[in-house]
Amino acid sequence: MFERFSKDARAVVVEAQTVARQVGTSSIDTRHLLVAVAEAPGPALDALRAAGLDPAAVAVDARSDLTSGGLDAEALASLGIDLDSVRRQADATFGTGALERGGRKHRKGHIPFTPDAKKALELALREAIRLADTGIDGGHLLLGILRADCPAGRVLEAALHDAGTDVPALRTAVEEQRTAA
Amino acid sequence: MTQQTLASAAGDDPAQGLRAVRSLRELADRLEALQVERARALGWSWQQIADHLGVTKQAVNKKHGRR
Repeated sequence: MFERFSKDARAVVVEAQTVARQVGTSSIDTRHLLVAVAEAPGPALDALRAAGLDPAAVAVDARSDLTSGGLDAEALASLGIDLDSVRRQADATFGTGALERGGRKHRKGHIPFTPDAKKALELALREAIRLADTGIDGGHLLLGILRADCPAGRVLEAALHDAGTDVPALRTAVEEQRTAA
Repeated sequence: MTQQTLASAAGDDPAQGLRAVRSLRELADRLEALQVERARALGWSWQQIADHLGVTKQAVNKKHGRR
């Protein structure tokens, strides 16, 4: 499948691995792909901008969604747990940022894709076929992420909502970018 | 916001409750990993760690041993 990826789409897949190492996650999901798409120059970044989003802010949102990784301060507060106080204690005992690291060591070698990331890549291929494009570029990856029911889709939806627009508008922007190119 | 949070937790909404459980499990997992790592660094054996966690040595080794 990767042989049909354009240079920028390959760069996105590689960059997603780097993001996973940076945030210390043991797998790559669609949010890693979204960060990579929003941080690297290419058709997807242009489309995000054309749809009225700030790509850098989208990347920051996706990154923070990754690092919060299930540690939901509000949900824990509902059980009477003060996450800030747990974090302070963990920092004191295990070193700064220990709780975010969560005892995970730096990973070497291959980091696997989650099923939703695989699904998004597969959908990117399907989008390329639908649009009768010969290769898969970053724009198709973004369309794949938008089609998949996934965490990154939710990050994007929230960003689009805040910008006063929606998913169909972004999808149109992506498709227009490719005809413009 | 706190009022709202408390209300939703008490309002037995499954979504809120499950979200809280998920966070709690994630927090416990991370603290366990950090504690085990530190205990090992302090020279504890897998058996000692297992005893304190109330699990078998095999279980703790599988979860936290060389990966």
